[in-house]
Amino acid sequence: MSRRAYAEAQRAAGRLVAAVLPARYPPEVLWAHDVVPVEVWDPPAPAEVAGAHLPPMVCSVVRRGLALLSASPPVDLLLFPHTCDSLQNLSTLLPDLLGERRPCLFFYPPRGPAGDCGRAFLLEEVRSLFRNLDAVAGEPPPHRLREAVRWARERDEALRGLYDARARGQLDAPAEEFYRAVRRTEYLWPEEASEELLAFRRERAGRRPAGVPLVLSGVLPAPMDFLRRLDERGLAVVEDDFLGLGRRFPRRAPDLPDDPLEAAAGRLLALPPCPTQGAPHSSRLAFLEELARRSSARAVVFLALKFCEPELFDIPFLAEGLRERGLPALVLETEPGGETPAALLTRLEAFVESLP
Amino acid sequence: MTLVREARYRLMKDLVLPAALRAREGRRRARKADPLFGPPLKSGAELKRIMARHYALARYAKGARPVAYVTSGAPVELLRPLGFYTLYPENHSALCGARKVGDRMALHAEARGFSPDLCSYARIDLGHAFSGESPAGELPPPDLLFCTTNICQTVMYWFKALAHHHRVPLVVLDTPYLHGGREEGPALRYFRDQMVEAVPRLERVACRDFEEGRFLAALESSRRASLLWGKVLETLKARPAPLTIFDAFVHLMPVVSLRGLPVCERYYEGLLAEAEERVRRGVAAVPGERFRLLWDNIAIWFALGSLARLFARAGAVPVAATYTHAWAETVQDLEETDPFDGLAKAYGRIFLNRDLAHRRDLLLTLAREYGVHGVVFHSARSCKPYSIGQYDMRGALEAQLPLRTVVLEADMADGRVWSEAQAETRLQAFFESLER
Repeated sequence: MSRRAYAEAQRAAGRLVAAVLPARYPPEVLWAHDVVPVEVWDPPAPAEVAGAHLPPMVCSVVRRGLALLSASPPVDLLLFPHTCDSLQNLSTLLPDLLGERRPCLFFYPPRGPAGDCGRAFLLEEVRSLFRNLDAVAGEPPPHRLREAVRWARERDEALRGLYDARARGQLDAPAEEFYRAVRRTEYLWPEEASEELLAFRRERAGRRPAGVPLVLSGVLPAPMDFLRRLDERGLAVVEDDFLGLGRRFPRRAPDLPDDPLEAAAGRLLALPPCPTQGAPHSSRLAFLEELARRSSARAVVFLALKFCEPELFDIPFLAEGLRERGLPALVLETEPGGETPAALLTRLEAFVESLP
Repeated sequence: MTLVREARYRLMKDLVLPAALRAREGRRRARKADPLFGPPLKSGAELKRIMARHYALARYAKGARPVAYVTSGAPVELLRPLGFYTLYPENHSALCGARKVGDRMALHAEARGFSPDLCSYARIDLGHAFSGESPAGELPPPDLLFCTTNICQTVMYWFKALAHHHRVPLVVLDTPYLHGGREEGPALRYFRDQMVEAVPRLERVACRDFEEGRFLAALESSRRASLLWGKVLETLKARPAPLTIFDAFVHLMPVVSLRGLPVCERYYEGLLAEAEERVRRGVAAVPGERFRLLWDNIAIWFALGSLARLFARAGAVPVAATYTHAWAETVQDLEETDPFDGLAKAYGRIFLNRDLAHRRDLLLTLAREYGVHGVVFHSARSCKPYSIGQYDMRGALEAQLPLRTVVLEADMADGRVWSEAQAETRLQAFFESLER
């Protein structure tokens, strides 16, 4: 079932559907309100449609997002986490200049080290989102938020289990299949998502397909065709530091407070380091090194999304830092959708051949 | 800070540099009058002296003063009582753009793997960090990086890269974006609390205590300079305008780079007196002023001169700009009883940190107050927060006022994306549309 069909089915079943732009937000508060967050990362909408509204230096995630939202998808509200300058302006362009009438909600995850005031502000943002959802979807029953926090914990555990199995070489799943399964968490109701992830892990238990083990980093594993090409070339993705995937669940089970809103905020604080929130290079390097160590990866490949400033600013120092630590790194510029350019594959092949 | 370095710094500041700059000025030949423009502003010479001294003195600051690199929207008033020598990478990159060396300097960063799609100010500045090259001479490396996200998120990524390169502390003050329908209190409180939280870190770098009296004095100085700057801009409401926005882009430098220092206030007292005198005497920046225009976005630094001539030939005078206005827009907020509250409001509410509805209203207000006939939108390839939304802003303005608008695709400092011929054709057509 496609994302659109799933959203339509959820609405038919009486739930509200929220289109959620990248990247970090507390899904628990939406679930508590019986709102299904359907994330908008790289929808098949033609990015060119956005050309009438966006200048050329805007990334394809934002372009596709605008194209999709302009085409009246089956959603009841929009949620814009503040992730970068482009998404920031999209969040005001739609309601303020393009006449978007559906409720638009905003969420601002604080930047920089989480000092006392950063933590307090994050909690206030989670509370504010909760209140705003009350206004749109009605107040949920008292126990519902606690239940949603449990769903988030269970989904995170399922993701951790799957990622751990892959890193240890105990998952017999090519990259394309792995990411198709994991990316369904971007829209499935959490209980369904957890069940599917657990089932996938059970069904695909086995030895990792032979191949040179790699860590991927970037925004998304895109285009999907690229993953197929990796599989064909005997390259195994064993870990990832994708903004949309490996950076969006805590890599260790966090010790969360009892209060459910504080728990939702605490979960966000426990996520891996991310440039969108100003994580220093040192913490990102340590994270990448740890991913490579635990999965015995031989190299890191950065899939750089054109015009994505948070990622592009970090890559030169990260690649240099990894090389200094004896971990080869390659930077490839990719775009969602379409086929992988041949030149890019040639570079990848040459890189893999040069690995010690 | 050694005594020798301190003595050298003072000697250069008080004696050697002022004398050297006076001597250089004496040698400089007077520029030939350009019939397209009115008499040049006398304050221009003072501006050159101040900025040349600021960059030249920077060479002697290391070891005598803690050196901070600061973003243009950061509350520099926090650094003044601690004696920081402040340099503004954005200002330096604009200078490199204006001197037409921006492209070459950006290449140093691109050679290190920084994408040519990144902000040109950042690439130029990183190019400076890697190569040491600068048209302003040698600049000291920083002891501190001081960054606020109220103008864009880019500065955070950029300053993080500088922190990694220079191995110095980075203080990021996070300023949540203000959406019109949301309560701004929590965001401004958060910004305020971060400033309070940052003070001990700043004290550690400066090896000095934060004295409230000096802080309040800097705040007051900053407020006065911004008020004066706002009054200078208001003189452009006169017909004919006594200076153009292209002039204002250049005369903006002190309020960006020297805010909170007495020299900045003194400078704008002089500039305001001169602008008011020109209004009284009816001196036109562009004789035969025909069309009055509003400019949106940062200047195209490398083409400032050629654009000024092109506009002047058509009798078109840019008289207002959102960019120049930014350093005067929220100055009244500094009058708060609690100085930290005042800073949070003044810096947190700047228009780049507010939604596009606010920007539309600001543009409409400026258009009405300055009596403009058209709007020039500079779509800067490097500046997403400023440029995204401009295409639809055109329609929003045209629906409410009888205005013509044009979009110029360019960049503020990287000349490689600029086509002079294309821009000229587009502007000629725009000027013709103003005739109708």
